[in-house]
Amino acid sequence: MFGLIGHSTSFDDAKQKAMDLGYDHIAKGDLDVWCSAPPQLVEHVNVVSAIGKKIEGAYIDSCFVPEMLGRFKTARRKVLNAMELAQKKGINITALGGFTSIIFENFNLLQNKQVRNTTLDWERFTTGNTHTAWVICRQLELNAPLIGINPKKATVAVVGATGDIGSAVCRWLVERTGVKEVLLVARQQQPLIELQNSLNGGKILPMEEALPLADVVIWVASLPKNLEIDTSNLHKPCLMIDGGYPKNLNEKFNGLGIHVLKGGIVEFFADIGWNMMELAAMEKPQRQMFACFAEAMLLEFEECHTNFSWGRNNITLEKMDFIGEASLRHGFSVLGLKPNLQVAIA
Amino acid sequence: MPTLESSGVAEISDLASKADCLPDFTTDQYKDAYSRINAIVIEGEKEAHDNYVAIGGLMPDKADELKKLAVMELRHMKGFTACGKNLGVVADMDFAQKFFAPLHGNFQKALKEEKLTTCFLIQAILIEAFAISAYHVYIRVADPFAKKITEGVVKDEYLHLNYGQEWLKANLGTCKEELFKANKENLPLIKSMLDQVADDAESLQMDKEELMEEFMIAYQDSLLEMGLDSREIARMALAAIV
Repeated sequence: MFGLIGHSTSFDDAKQKAMDLGYDHIAKGDLDVWCSAPPQLVEHVNVVSAIGKKIEGAYIDSCFVPEMLGRFKTARRKVLNAMELAQKKGINITALGGFTSIIFENFNLLQNKQVRNTTLDWERFTTGNTHTAWVICRQLELNAPLIGINPKKATVAVVGATGDIGSAVCRWLVERTGVKEVLLVARQQQPLIELQNSLNGGKILPMEEALPLADVVIWVASLPKNLEIDTSNLHKPCLMIDGGYPKNLNEKFNGLGIHVLKGGIVEFFADIGWNMMELAAMEKPQRQMFACFAEAMLLEFEECHTNFSWGRNNITLEKMDFIGEASLRHGFSVLGLKPNLQVAIA
Repeated sequence: MPTLESSGVAEISDLASKADCLPDFTTDQYKDAYSRINAIVIEGEKEAHDNYVAIGGLMPDKADELKKLAVMELRHMKGFTACGKNLGVVADMDFAQKFFAPLHGNFQKALKEEKLTTCFLIQAILIEAFAISAYHVYIRVADPFAKKITEGVVKDEYLHLNYGQEWLKANLGTCKEELFKANKENLPLIKSMLDQVADDAESLQMDKEELMEEFMIAYQDSLLEMGLDSREIARMALAAIV
């Protein structure tokens, strides 16, 4: 069985969803009630892959909402309790969705292995970052040509280059896609230098200098709310792949010649009988999902019960190949620019 | 999932180490709060002993098993008494008796009316889940001596919760309505007991929010094990907040 740990995108959405599911006591509660609410296994689902492999899964809502980010202890408990529930339910491989993996990583939850009577077995969890990184790279390779950008001649800025996903994306772009140049953007210098050395390429630049040079910008860092960028300086056309969480690039950039694509999203070839992707505001919630969730499904399809994506900077090109091949074989495709846009360009 | 420092996350990650420091067990404020919390635990274990013996009176064929559970509670009581002494704290037993009075009253009433379902729900489920959750939270911030004692106790309390849970599970077909009614009358008492000790618990670095969450996890798990579905559990949990 595979598992997905997710959460609502806001407190208001969470209350509405809880009401729809019949969890009135949580729905009617204020934020304090939500802070004390246990994680809920809200949905079981059966999935059959494109090659006929059948698996079973469960969706766990951690009852975390982004409004809790300011409460360190609460956020930590939400993640650990949801993980404990997944393990208690005997789920083989569970993806940490949304803020779950961010909290796990930033709060260093590796040191919290013991949750009540349960010793968390990290082998049962994956951040899903390998699949996310592969999907973002494929989104670039498939969509840039649609708006007249040749990937091999493109300058690509990766904002958040030193993160787990960012560094994997940079490696792929240099060694597999063979882009003209990768611009490495991140807040801290030392990891940037280390990344540059390991890549044998790439140019370190501050964001304001990198953006005007880029044909493609891959965002794998969450944007500060007050970030202002002068769009008149950007290349036209420019492909922006929004691989951060939450996805909030659209409102900042979408305009003539600048094409924003939701990054790290995949579409399954058939409808999945679940309700939970509506929470994540997917356009086709029966088929589309975060690539990290799909990674748990893929690992279950492949009976590869291990923490495939774990820790920082452990994503290799070989692992990306493995998960990418599995992704295609079992019926996933990466989200592309909207067909009507493609027609308009053609 | 995409991970990189969103500014909100980055700011608070620094709090992680600060939040994990143990309290100073020697301050007057700590000891004052401990005098009430420790008393509640001692009184709780004593009443648990009495309650299991009393339930045994209604189930003669199970009286021996229940007596065994009761004896464990007395051992816990002694352990927690030692925890107070170790810190040089005198437990405020008057406070603790008043603290338990409403729940104690409801248990005695159910006992007189021979309502086994209500008795089990109050003692084996609500009180045990309350104890388990509080002990789990306490273990994370306890002094080394009390930590060791509490770790031993919490294992036993699961046995007690399990005992009541199994009985209710076996009798769920006939006891559901009484279970809902007993929950409605007694779950709010647990909530108000928690509210009453929130400040003292805070002095011991036990968050009210965390206590409530741990309780709801233990309670929800137990109700699920009994065979109630998630909507029924949601309906029961509602009593905690209205």
